[in-house]
Amino acid sequence: MMTEVLPDEADWTETETEIEIEVEDLVPKSHWDLEAILDGRDTGEPKKRKIKKKVKKKVKRKPKPKPPTPPPRQITPSPPPKPKTPPPPPKPKTPEPSPEPIVYVDESLTLNEEDDSGTGMGYDGMGDDDGLGAGDGGDSGADTGDETGFSEVEIQMADESEAAPGTMRSVSQWRGGDWGSIMSNLANAMCTRCRGGFGPYEKMVNSNGELYHEKCFVCAQCFQPFPDGLFYEFEGRKYCEHDFHMLYAPCCGQCGEFVIGRVIKAMNNNWHPDCFTCHTCHAPLADTGFVKNAGRALCRPCNARERASGLGKYICQKCHQMIEDKHLIFKSEPYHPYHFNCHHCGKELTEVARELRGELYCLPCHDKMGIPICGACRRPIETRVVNALGKQWHVEHFVCAKCEKPFLGHRHYERKGLAYCETHYNQLFGDVCYCCNKVITGDVVSALNKSWCVACFACSICDQKLTLKSRFIEVDMRPVCKKCYEKLPTELKKRLKT
Amino acid sequence: MLNYGSRLMSKAGKKQVEDCKERTGGTELELVDKGISNLLDVPGLLQLSNLVRLTASHNKLHAVPPSIAQLQNLEILNLFNNQIEELPTTLSTLPKLKHLNLGMNRLSSLPRGFGSFPSLEILDLTYNNLTEKSLPGNFFYLESLRALYLGDNDMETLPPQVGQLMKLQILVLRDNDLIALPMEVGNLERLKELHIQGNRLTVLPPELGKLDLSGPKMVFKGDNNPWVAPIADQLQVGVSHLLEYLRSDTYKYLYGRHIQAGAQPPPKTTDKSKKISRKAKGK
Repeated sequence: MMTEVLPDEADWTETETEIEIEVEDLVPKSHWDLEAILDGRDTGEPKKRKIKKKVKKKVKRKPKPKPPTPPPRQITPSPPPKPKTPPPPPKPKTPEPSPEPIVYVDESLTLNEEDDSGTGMGYDGMGDDDGLGAGDGGDSGADTGDETGFSEVEIQMADESEAAPGTMRSVSQWRGGDWGSIMSNLANAMCTRCRGGFGPYEKMVNSNGELYHEKCFVCAQCFQPFPDGLFYEFEGRKYCEHDFHMLYAPCCGQCGEFVIGRVIKAMNNNWHPDCFTCHTCHAPLADTGFVKNAGRALCRPCNARERASGLGKYICQKCHQMIEDKHLIFKSEPYHPYHFNCHHCGKELTEVARELRGELYCLPCHDKMGIPICGACRRPIETRVVNALGKQWHVEHFVCAKCEKPFLGHRHYERKGLAYCETHYNQLFGDVCYCCNKVITGDVVSALNKSWCVACFACSICDQKLTLKSRFIEVDMRPVCKKCYEKLPTELKKRLKT
Repeated sequence: MLNYGSRLMSKAGKKQVEDCKERTGGTELELVDKGISNLLDVPGLLQLSNLVRLTASHNKLHAVPPSIAQLQNLEILNLFNNQIEELPTTLSTLPKLKHLNLGMNRLSSLPRGFGSFPSLEILDLTYNNLTEKSLPGNFFYLESLRALYLGDNDMETLPPQVGQLMKLQILVLRDNDLIALPMEVGNLERLKELHIQGNRLTVLPPELGKLDLSGPKMVFKGDNNPWVAPIADQLQVGVSHLLEYLRSDTYKYLYGRHIQAGAQPPPKTTDKSKKISRKAKGK
């Protein structure tokens, strides 16, 4: 990934930058053809390689303000190139500078108009291929600037050998010192574009050794000079940044902005690397690959989760694999039980493990720790414990077997292993006193298929209290004390006996 | 002599009343076997406005004074084994009366409006001279009644209105002259005890089969009746068998045939002339 910031005017140092492009399926035709291509259906790890592709040339310019640019002019010979790809959607006229602009170089030299030397500019426009060869000259022509009035004479060269077609031509170098040869070269120089010669005081533009009339060094599309001297070259034609984007740069499927630099091609669209993210968790997918799931690009964990939830299964939060068998919930998250060991005995856990105070225990260990288990919900009781019916209970789980209201400390009544509130115990099983017709709360006297409160048990004739030791005689299934029975007429007693 | 005796009685009653006030705060008065012939002879009795229980068994009461209605808190009134022939109509106005024991008296009729007790639960009319005609029209309005003791009376039939006593748990009809039971007895869902021994019953209404009288704490007494053979046989085996038989189609058919035939009821066989409840008539 290359970053190039154009030096501002005060900066006269030369810079050289390599453009590195990560590519997959390299197609070295043009710079975006070299971008990474991720096929959505291909979940394999994309192959990447870095290619040093482009050369950034430093921009040389005169510190003084440039002369007014000549008005735009139609130039016949070179019509703007037809874009091979449909032009990308319109972009704002003045796009904000991309953080990582690919700057395709340009080197322009401007003759100083005010210079009175009058001898014409010494210019060694190495317009030809031999410009490469010029690189052997070690000395820069900076010193000649003083004489010739060139504000700067600097040619930087880089990346000669690898320069691919369509990339910036690398550079010429001044042969400083040989002024005569410069002059003679200049005499023969002609504009790369219109093939015309240069007048003796005409400004010349040197771009990588190609010389241009100033009016000819313009964007192939809009015929305007390049802002800040920055241009993009494609198939031999130079474009200003705006038109280049308009014609060739792909648009990001997410943010709609032009994609400069690395382009992710996936899901039938182009993306900024940072814009191509998981549909669910928004993690960047450019370097991790993705899975196409129902028209969405998902990262692998999210895809696995989706698949699992579709099957009604859990995803282990440790290994992020689907849990095929029973899961273990620990701190509210599902896990494969075998990822854990009992905190006490170290045995590998199963799904019946219990969580206690943030640790996991196997069931036997958990039970051995003396934590009471609620007889109702079978969960450990860590708050108040109710001991009843030979079991232990959560306070709120010890309830009436009939109305299911917790006793909360109120008296309960037991029957056949179940507990009841007073109301429902009596309703269901209560012994009602034959005499007072109330549920018997104390001891019960059971006799003659009936029940009595102890205090109510009395002779049915004289109302004399009967104790359990008293003898009584049954008359119509009621107790009669001996005294009263003896007072009954004999004929009745006879009948009662039979 | 009479005066002396009367004075003696008054004295005895007086002691009980004082005792009642002292020990129970005037809520329970026992006048058992004190030879009392009139409750009005007991000084201060009607002033015991807190009285909850009055037991006057084994006395010689001939009547109950209408002023007994003053004892508004009375819940238990036991007048067993007296010589009462008549009851005041005011008796049934006692608002809290739950237990009324009039057994072994000489009642051959009940006062008008006797069924208007607001909260009567146990009514004992055992050993009197009552027939179905003795029962006033509103007798079975006693909705709160839990137990009805009518043993040793002279009932030949039981009014079908008995089915209105929805809270009835105990029905004793021992030693009457019943020749039939109304099918409405089968509606007494809460019935736990049915005593019908010593009557002239030959068949039972099939509706009785609806009652669950064979469970624990249930009582069914049916001896000493001239039962038709199948019932006698089933009763011999057990109450549950009898009830199951009553529910069977076979029995329903037989019962229908029996009713259609309109056979004469069996004659009275028991001599009741020696009942002490009759003595007044003998005089």
